[in-house]
Amino acid sequence: MDPPDDLDDYLRGDSALSRQYRRESAPPPPHALDRRVLGFSREAQGTAQRLTPCLAPLAFAASVLLSVALVLAIAFGPQTAKRVDDAPRLVRVAAHAGASPTTPLNRKLQLYSSDPKLARAPPVWLADIAALRRARRNSEADAELRRFRSTYPDYSTGELAIRP
Amino acid sequence: MESLDEDARLMVRYRDGDAGAFSTLYARHKGPLYRYLLRQVRNAGAAADLFQEVWSRLVATRARYEARAKFATYLFHIAHNCTMDFFRRDLKMPHAARSDDADVVSTEPEVPEYQRPDRVAEFAEQQSALLAALGALPQEQREAFLLHEETGLTIEEIARVTDVGLETAKSRLRYAIRKLKKSLLPVQIPAAQPLRTRTI
Repeated sequence: MDPPDDLDDYLRGDSALSRQYRRESAPPPPHALDRRVLGFSREAQGTAQRLTPCLAPLAFAASVLLSVALVLAIAFGPQTAKRVDDAPRLVRVAAHAGASPTTPLNRKLQLYSSDPKLARAPPVWLADIAALRRARRNSEADAELRRFRSTYPDYSTGELAIRP
Repeated sequence: MESLDEDARLMVRYRDGDAGAFSTLYARHKGPLYRYLLRQVRNAGAAADLFQEVWSRLVATRARYEARAKFATYLFHIAHNCTMDFFRRDLKMPHAARSDDADVVSTEPEVPEYQRPDRVAEFAEQQSALLAALGALPQEQREAFLLHEETGLTIEEIARVTDVGLETAKSRLRYAIRKLKKSLLPVQIPAAQPLRTRTI
């Protein structure tokens, strides 16, 4: 049976073990790493800040253009021809996605969209990765896992992350 | 509701465009994170790569950050995921190399780079008995100990960061400290031994 006081003593803090560990030399990260990390964080923030003022007039111009185009399309567009065009386009999307035409459109968007807002919910995505692993399609599973991690970096993946 | 810790507030400020907040966060966590990674993977080059990867994931996903828990659990969860990916890649490497030249029969066992005896010995030469014992622990126990020592995370938080149950995290930490305490004993025993006296 485990001695009851081992962990409790340690967790109370200031145990001999903790003191000894803190006495050990503590290598700091190299300065080059500091520069690189602080550099890309500033760059990422700077890019976002630089883009915002530039994008404001551009967004305004785009919305004016779209509004004009929409009004023109409603007023003069061939509405019946458009209806005919839509059907084959949907079929082509389904064929390209490799999904059956009966698959709901939402599912196709989730599978193939790069927009994080449209990305699959984590449990669904992990289930897909697990299915790839079961099918021994490990390289695809790894690629999916990487995409998953970049979308949800702190989401718990459990055993899935280490089991090839 | 639990109030935000100061680091979480800094992260929220960084998310909202305050670049200076990141510098403060970085200065606070760079040491613990680097030591955690270095002592987990036991290879300075790999630790440096992982260190950059963790921060770059944090930066890349800052827009989706929500301060739901202590910032350290968020950062070290990313670090845990990166480390697990590293171990998985490292375990796969010998297998991939062997499949390239299938005719060559290797006499060496499949040992990941980070566990190769020469690398381990090289690393062990530079450290004390405690750090050597820490390096000899199973990875999960070592991680539990490092998370507690480097960040002050509670057992509950360690469980959340490492994606395991509370009892598992507790038992990992218990085993780790028991083994590490033993590594300190040989140093203490000689001092406690009584002097022998000669009888005439």
